[in-house]
Amino acid sequence: MVRHLYVHLPFCASRCGYCGFVVEVGALDRRDAYLAAVRSELAAERDGLGSLETVYLGGGTPTLMRPARIAVLLDDLAPLLADGAEVSIEANPETVDAAAFAQLRRAGVTRVSLGAQSFQPALLGALDRQASPDQVRRAVACAQAEGFGSVSVDLLFGVPGQTAAQLDADLAEVLALAVDHISWYELEIKPETALARMGARLPDEDWAADAYESIVARLESAGYRWYETANFARPGRECRHSLAYWSARDYVGLGVGAVSTIDGVRRRNVAGLAAYLGQVGADGVPARATEALDAATRRRERWMLGLRLDRPLDTEWAGPPDHPEVIARLEAGGLLTAAAGRVALTRRGRFVQNAVLHELMEYA
Amino acid sequence: MQQDLIRNFCIIAHIDHGKSTLADRILQLTGAVTERDMREQILDSMDLERERGITIKAQAVRVFYTAADGQTYQLNLIDTPGHVDFSYEVSRSLAACEGALLVVDASQGIEAQTLANTYLAIEGDLELIPVLNKIDLPAAEPELHAGAVAELIGVDPSSVLRISAKTGDGVTEVLESIVDRIPPPHGDPDAPLRALIFDSVYDQYRGVVAFVRVFDGSFAKGDRLVAMQTGREVAADEVGVMTPTMLSTGRLAAGESGYLVTGLKAVGDLKVGDTLTVARRPAAAPLAGYREVKPMVFCGLFPLDADDYPDLRDALEKLSLNDASLQWEPETSQALGFGFRCGFLGLLHMDIVRERLEREYDLELLATTPTVEYQLTTTGGDELAVRSPVELPPPTNIDSIREPYVRCTILVPTDGVGAVMQLCQERRGQYVTMTPIEQRQQIVYDLPLAEIVTDFYDQLKSRTRGYASLDYELAGYRESPLVKLDILLAGEPVDALSMIVHKDLAYGRGKALVERLRATIPRQLFEVPIQAAVGGRIIARETIKARRKDVLAKCYGGDISRKRKLLERQKEGKKRMKQVGSVEVPQEAFLSVLTLGSSSDGNGARK
Repeated sequence: MVRHLYVHLPFCASRCGYCGFVVEVGALDRRDAYLAAVRSELAAERDGLGSLETVYLGGGTPTLMRPARIAVLLDDLAPLLADGAEVSIEANPETVDAAAFAQLRRAGVTRVSLGAQSFQPALLGALDRQASPDQVRRAVACAQAEGFGSVSVDLLFGVPGQTAAQLDADLAEVLALAVDHISWYELEIKPETALARMGARLPDEDWAADAYESIVARLESAGYRWYETANFARPGRECRHSLAYWSARDYVGLGVGAVSTIDGVRRRNVAGLAAYLGQVGADGVPARATEALDAATRRRERWMLGLRLDRPLDTEWAGPPDHPEVIARLEAGGLLTAAAGRVALTRRGRFVQNAVLHELMEYA
Repeated sequence: MQQDLIRNFCIIAHIDHGKSTLADRILQLTGAVTERDMREQILDSMDLERERGITIKAQAVRVFYTAADGQTYQLNLIDTPGHVDFSYEVSRSLAACEGALLVVDASQGIEAQTLANTYLAIEGDLELIPVLNKIDLPAAEPELHAGAVAELIGVDPSSVLRISAKTGDGVTEVLESIVDRIPPPHGDPDAPLRALIFDSVYDQYRGVVAFVRVFDGSFAKGDRLVAMQTGREVAADEVGVMTPTMLSTGRLAAGESGYLVTGLKAVGDLKVGDTLTVARRPAAAPLAGYREVKPMVFCGLFPLDADDYPDLRDALEKLSLNDASLQWEPETSQALGFGFRCGFLGLLHMDIVRERLEREYDLELLATTPTVEYQLTTTGGDELAVRSPVELPPPTNIDSIREPYVRCTILVPTDGVGAVMQLCQERRGQYVTMTPIEQRQQIVYDLPLAEIVTDFYDQLKSRTRGYASLDYELAGYRESPLVKLDILLAGEPVDALSMIVHKDLAYGRGKALVERLRATIPRQLFEVPIQAAVGGRIIARETIKARRKDVLAKCYGGDISRKRKLLERQKEGKKRMKQVGSVEVPQEAFLSVLTLGSSSDGNGARK
């Protein structure tokens, strides 16, 4: 039985310059229809769901659904939730206030993840973000006052034009907020995004390495654990839903473009809102692309995901690497440690995780 | 046909000076090709010939021309290969003729290659008819160039024809001059056969087709012939002439040129320059001028994908059917795996072969730095030929090394003289002469062939803004203090990057090469030293930095497949790299050796 549920809520007020997700801009009048479709898909999937340990409402801008619709959805889910289940929602700071947080809390949300991205107006502008730094600070304070089990903030580094001083300022700002959890991603310029069309260039490896190293060092010294490549948490406040992904657990995804992985089969719902709404209908089943994951693929995914975490990878669980002979060299080079069925990247190894992965595994 | 009504001639011209257009016009005027059939540049259009089912390139076209004197003449137009690498083949084509049209573009003037072929023709005692082409162009300077051409071959400027092959203007005068000025052949029709092989091609249906010029005697279909230099027996399966389509005549007699279908399996079976005679009544001596053609430039060709090795072998076998001068033998490189060491006549030949392998046979190849054949004497007194740095014995075993030199003739506008001389000096050149030709200078240098097989031509062109033209001929071997320069990656020598250099240049080249490699090889997981060494002594060092950050930024449930596929694409990209020990080396790194001579070329970019 699947114990992890993702619900994709795609509506956005505008598209950010770096965004490559499945989002819908200017379709707010479809929210009720969308809620109905997701509920119908949930009903169809219900038999496959066990007691849910985590639920994640992601987007898009899930908070644009407004708390009332979120409450309807969470009412449906309530009977499925395990004791102490983590129920996360992503929120854009400009879309939430104290009242909204209170409603979400009552509806059953336990964890809020706020998209800040930066506290520098110039960088927010470059990313087409709508919220001002003040709105971010206010939203974080409101969420904390509401007493959610965990409040998280998302940030980006490597924004074209970003200076080391701006990065330091963002570090100081986020530490001052004293949140439970921080996700700090390096900006990717995906094809088909506004940044890509503008020809934006990422910083060079040395700049990015300096930035990444200083983020890790500053957050760790402030008491956050660097528990995943881009994620930091106070002890016990790790995102359990994300940990399920990185542990290669099964999960069901509902909604437009959502992905599920169940018993070695990965499937992706149709991506267009109109198509999704049109297809879900009474039986609750949208068009889906499926991909069977053979044993080798699953093994390679487990290594890809498992090495993201700070805890060692259990090689009995993950399966053997394709090139076990390189382990000794990587170990001698100070990039990983291997002992008794466990492989862990060293601190330096974690910064070059991708390159280490290519040494160990044959992605083809 | 009576020999006094036969004329054998060829056209000497620089590329783009109008050889093909003039040939077309001659075919048209003599009715060999009708107006309706007229296509551009018949002699050069291999694709068109294939389309029409004429698979044989017309190397010798026979046309009939009724001259002003009322007589009808048989004109044999013999084609010549158009490049410096094929000077021996050119010399054999010229040997098949009594005369040549020297065609010069009236706006460009004489080029180095025309000059070289003109000297060959003069040496061969050919009657030269100077022709200025493209006089219809606004930029034409017929007076200036006519004077230079006349002076070059020692005739009166008034005898230089002025034509436009494009419009047809003056072409009749060309035909009249061929009849008037070029002497007829004067072989002995009753003597034993002596026929010069001046070219051959391989046709998949007919086997080897040889193009011959009969000097003495005659032969007919069905005769058993012998190639006098190699002793090989050849059957005359079919005998005829190109009109330009193949026309079987059954017989070729003294003074005539034509083709011979032999049924042999590879062009290498018949050597250009050899003399055919009839087996039952052989000639006493072959025609003069035969030479064994030897490759001058060598490089290793390796498939990027090791699985393509058998395909590369097949492709080389197929190319060899039609290219007797291409040599190849298996070679194994520690860095590059299995491949072939190939020998070429020269740089252009090498480029042509590589390009055909990649384009026609769809192979992705990595070519190592071109080298030449060194001759060396060991301390034990043995003589060795070395075509690859890997074959060079340790310095203590070498008594002396000799390397091939070429005499380079470079024509350049006066303001480019300084740049050319500087380049030649950088490449260990020895100045020979400089003489003015028209408004240009003809500079002659003796250079080690090894110094021009890399990027000399590119440099010459770029430093003279494209105005210099180059020709070279082999000028024998000279002793040089040469050493092997090794490149070590992570402490391991990389055979494909080593080279043989003059000892005085070893430090500069070694330093430049490790710098180039550092710039070309991406950061690796671990720091990698790049070292240049001569005889075990490190003379230069650079370091490839270790990677500091390489992560997939974000990975959530929705994009696990996407991230995995990204890794797969990255892996695909890595396949384009060569794994040398633990270091991933991009192909460009192996090419960086090529540009090393360009010390004054700041960024070293290869054109």
